[in-house]
Amino acid sequence: MTYFSFFKSESLLLWRHKQDTLNALLFFVIVVTLFPLGIDATPDFLTVSAGGIIWCATSLAVLMSISRMYREDYEDGSLEQWLVSGLYLPFLILLKVTVQWLFMIAPLLLILPIVGGMLYLSEESFWVLVATLLLGSPSLFLIGSIGAALTVSLQQGAMLLMLLILPMYIPILIFATSAIKASEIGLPYLGSLAMLLAISLLSLVFAPFMAAASIKASVNE
Amino acid sequence: MQSADFLTITDLWIERGERVLCKELSFSVQSGEVIRILGENGAGKSSLLKALLGTVLIDEGSILYLGEDITADRSNLHKDTLYIGHSVGLKKALTVRENLALYCPDVSIEGYQPILEELGLAPFLDMPVNKLSQGQARRTALSRLWLTQKSLWILDEPFSALDDQACLLLEKKIEQHSLAGGVVLLTTHIPLSSIQPRELEFAV
Repeated sequence: MTYFSFFKSESLLLWRHKQDTLNALLFFVIVVTLFPLGIDATPDFLTVSAGGIIWCATSLAVLMSISRMYREDYEDGSLEQWLVSGLYLPFLILLKVTVQWLFMIAPLLLILPIVGGMLYLSEESFWVLVATLLLGSPSLFLIGSIGAALTVSLQQGAMLLMLLILPMYIPILIFATSAIKASEIGLPYLGSLAMLLAISLLSLVFAPFMAAASIKASVNE
Repeated sequence: MQSADFLTITDLWIERGERVLCKELSFSVQSGEVIRILGENGAGKSSLLKALLGTVLIDEGSILYLGEDITADRSNLHKDTLYIGHSVGLKKALTVRENLALYCPDVSIEGYQPILEELGLAPFLDMPVNKLSQGQARRTALSRLWLTQKSLWILDEPFSALDDQACLLLEKKIEQHSLAGGVVLLTTHIPLSSIQPRELEFAV
């Protein structure tokens, strides 16, 4: 096994399991659609709430797709093969997270203009939303991968994963939605974007090592 | 100067919860040896193999690989080891060819056509693993023994789900590997016909 062959096979696998990504995206669209129907469909409410709605839906969709991230690898013996491959486990995890992120975020960005239009998001706020997703979503996946690794050996680990991971998503949600709100009312938003980038960089440094330690512990059970 | 043993295991102690799997187990392995670990079902043979690989933690003891203490870090051992366990690590949604490309990216599958034909895999190269029988999936995993060059093979029940012809082929390959100076550690309940491994009784 090499890093490249691993990256290639992970991409192929996600392509073969594209229904899972489509389900997560469909879930995202349904959640976003339910807000105007259930609360208020007027532009005044939606323009202000759009950032929050989209980010809540994104976080839940990411959690949904990431909860089974290592499950198949655990069941088919791949995790053991990663451990004895002679390759650096945190880097393998980083590659897997990168593939997951690309396969989720690329289609999400493609449907974002429609969703943004549905929620009456102004053009400037739309681009700020794109920036928050690009800067903040890597941390959603990186932090989520720690939870997925911790709960991989548990039969009913999804609820525990949510309890472990959702609190860590809160700062990301706060900075992302505050950037979008600030742009909507003409206030500076670069500080919030910088914070999102900082959280993603911090996750990039710590998450692969923490997920690797969790995988080793799960395999050792 | 005497050359170092391939592997030296000293006073190995493994506990799993309340259960002691092995205590003060010591043995050494020379280059070219085939070692068969014997023991009842559930005795901990698989755990011993995993402990050598570092995927199961050991409580006490030391492991030397070519004279170097690898108890704390097995990365040097991993670079020269091929492990096939109960779960063989094949991706069910990928084809046989794609799985081999994952684990053996440096070889051209076409160059190994004769051995893949002998293993009965040639007609299934482009079939997803989830469509194969258990025996065919195991043959796919075991084909890595022909496609990669590693000195140490750790094989946990490699003959399970294989037919007589595939068992003989595998035994022949193990013998060739041993004659070439490689080391094989295996567990199996099946009597071996062509190779005479050194047997290691594993019981607490």
